[in-house]
Amino acid sequence: MDKPVKKQGAIRFEAVIPMAIVVGLVVLYFSLFFDSHLRRGLEYAATQGNGAEVDIGRVKTSVFGASVLIADVQMTDPEQPQQNRVQIGELRFRMLWDALLRGKIMIDEAVIEDVQIATARQRAGYVLPPEPEQADDGPSATDKMLAQMKQEFSGNVVGDLAAIAAGADPAAQLKETGDLKSSAYLAGLKQSQDETEQQWRARIDALPKGDDFKALRTRLGKVQLKDFKDVAQVQASVKELQSIRDEFDAMSKPVGEAGSKLTGDMGALRTSFADLEKVAREDVRGLQSRMHLPSLDTATLSRALFGMDVLGKLQQARGYMNQAREYIPAKGAPKAKPKKIHKGHDYAFGRPKAYPAFWLRRAAITSTLPGGKGLSGEILDVATDQSLVGRPLVATLKGDFPQQGVSGVKAELVIDHRNAEPLERVNLQVGNYAVAGRSLVNSESVTLAFAKAQAATGFVAELRGDKVDMRLSNRFGATAFETGAKSAVVREMMAASVAGLNAVTMDARVSGAWSDLDLSLSTNLADALAKGMGRYLQAKMDEARKRIESIVNDRIGEQKQRLLARQGELEARYQSQLAERKAQVDKMRAELDGARNELDKRKNAAVDSQKQNLKQEAGKLLDSWRR
Amino acid sequence: MTLILKQLFSLLRLLNSDTGTNQIAAGVACGLILGFAPMLSLQALLVFVCMFLFRIQIGAALTSAFFFALVAWLFDPVSHVVGSAILETPSLQSLFTALYNMPLVPLTRFYNSVVMGAGVASILLAPLVFFGSKRLIEAYRVKVVERFKSSPFWKLWSSTSFFKWYATYDKFHG
Repeated sequence: MDKPVKKQGAIRFEAVIPMAIVVGLVVLYFSLFFDSHLRRGLEYAATQGNGAEVDIGRVKTSVFGASVLIADVQMTDPEQPQQNRVQIGELRFRMLWDALLRGKIMIDEAVIEDVQIATARQRAGYVLPPEPEQADDGPSATDKMLAQMKQEFSGNVVGDLAAIAAGADPAAQLKETGDLKSSAYLAGLKQSQDETEQQWRARIDALPKGDDFKALRTRLGKVQLKDFKDVAQVQASVKELQSIRDEFDAMSKPVGEAGSKLTGDMGALRTSFADLEKVAREDVRGLQSRMHLPSLDTATLSRALFGMDVLGKLQQARGYMNQAREYIPAKGAPKAKPKKIHKGHDYAFGRPKAYPAFWLRRAAITSTLPGGKGLSGEILDVATDQSLVGRPLVATLKGDFPQQGVSGVKAELVIDHRNAEPLERVNLQVGNYAVAGRSLVNSESVTLAFAKAQAATGFVAELRGDKVDMRLSNRFGATAFETGAKSAVVREMMAASVAGLNAVTMDARVSGAWSDLDLSLSTNLADALAKGMGRYLQAKMDEARKRIESIVNDRIGEQKQRLLARQGELEARYQSQLAERKAQVDKMRAELDGARNELDKRKNAAVDSQKQNLKQEAGKLLDSWRR
Repeated sequence: MTLILKQLFSLLRLLNSDTGTNQIAAGVACGLILGFAPMLSLQALLVFVCMFLFRIQIGAALTSAFFFALVAWLFDPVSHVVGSAILETPSLQSLFTALYNMPLVPLTRFYNSVVMGAGVASILLAPLVFFGSKRLIEAYRVKVVERFKSSPFWKLWSSTSFFKWYATYDKFHG
């Protein structure tokens, strides 16, 4: 075992052959297997990004040319896995070696050919399960807002209305009203009354009574108000009287204050009674909702019919916005915390005219079909650092998809992250596309769908910083509706409601901050339904609503009357007690005012007589000098 | 695989012999740099080329690379903090900008916080690891190998005819 090791030089010459073998193997790998492995890697990454299966037919790379060809790309539509969202015939581009040596990807020109949408797949693509919500931060304000909207729009308003038309009595379902908010509110009101009563009892007891003024009266009686011998006596009386007055003012002050406080406290209780009406209305609304008694107003119906469509577009826009802001960070955007600490954070030390980590200068999109129809467009400046490139990402697309019956497509996308406030703007117009069997209402009691229609769409969205301004406008012409219902009455009602409605318009606008969105939605289909259903349902709904109101009033009426009566009694009691105390104070004040007036009179007389005496003595003195 | 196994056996033999201390210590130091660097990076490739070109004990390098990769993984949060601090140092910005825009240098991924932190740590620790492992190997040879060779078990085993046959075989074919 302790065989001496041969003395050898520092350089391992015998490793030349193994190294040559290793290099040969690497070359062999890149020639035979790399393209296939890259294709699988791209498929995996694209599937993660798309949310559904992405298939790539062929990938061909050239190391020396730094070129890539990707052919037959099929991106499954996650909503309809039987069809592709987008299908691309061929995508080819060449990278610059100069950039590659710097660890960057720079593509001067890429070509995307034969782009099609909504093509059928040979087999359904698999859809990735939705990502679990982040447990550490919890749902954001925007998530909560969108979830609330989803809950509202997924409610089956038209189905509930149809059920009532079919004869269901919503009020009959209300066996148990449970705890009403107004009952709890009245309990709170009673507690407030108890506390107010207790406070006022203590406050009135603490106010000065007639006997409390006895000592002041005795002192007042001893004050000399006449027969003054000199000015000093007058001064002493004035001083004593002022002292009594100050003491009286201090004692009577709470009585004056109590008057305004009593008015305030009783006013607050009366306001609480007024608020009871609002709480009772909330109870009525809550019970209406529990009984599935929807409103027949056009706003509610519009949201029920097309709210989910608008929400879908909004969520889609938000998803793309988040991706754009992640991969193309805005200038000066705070560094995101690494998703996995082991991956760290990549810093960019670019300088003007340097390469960003990724830059696709131009991609030409072409798709020529027989008959001269097709698609054309370009994507400019897809870069990971727009402030370095100095240009925003602009993508335009124009043309038709005749195989799918879609024509007049015009789209423009601008992603401008050159400033601190990121901006994404999209403008999409689709001139004409066919709609068939699109469901609008799908409930147990009724179904409503477009049997066929020719539609046009306009979608404009501007996302700037935290603000959203999105407008969606749909026009459905040559419409034919498909209605279904178990009840003949409902069938007749629905058919009558949509009869003669050849064109349906829908206009929606979502604006505001992501955490506080304002949605306005209107459609003439909702107007027609409200009018048509109203004829059948208004009387039934009014009756049901009255029954709910009477249920709430029965529950709270007696207690409310009792508390109102007590409120009156409390007000009367404390106002009278306070008036009594006030009268005693006023009496004492009158006595003090009388004494003060008397004293002022005597004081003035004394001063006048003193003046007279001085005048006479001065006259006498002047006379004696003259002589 | 044969090459790796051969290197591992060679490592054991070298450890238990009187020579090759520098080769093993250099291998451990290279393993440290390899373990702390990303697998697909320019510095890892350079270390590999050095390992093949120079007489560095590859078995020692690969074994220690595996061990140091685990250590580096555990210390990634620390590396991220250290790397971020270095990459955000204002006086180094012009240097990093020049390096970032040079050919080949960005392939080291020095602009990544974890790579920078771990890279700086590995460069600072490499000389310490080289000299430290040298001392350890020497101590191992004195305290473990010598003591084992003077143990009754080894004396008994080395006097067997099988061992003698193997020693002869190893001398001519090993």
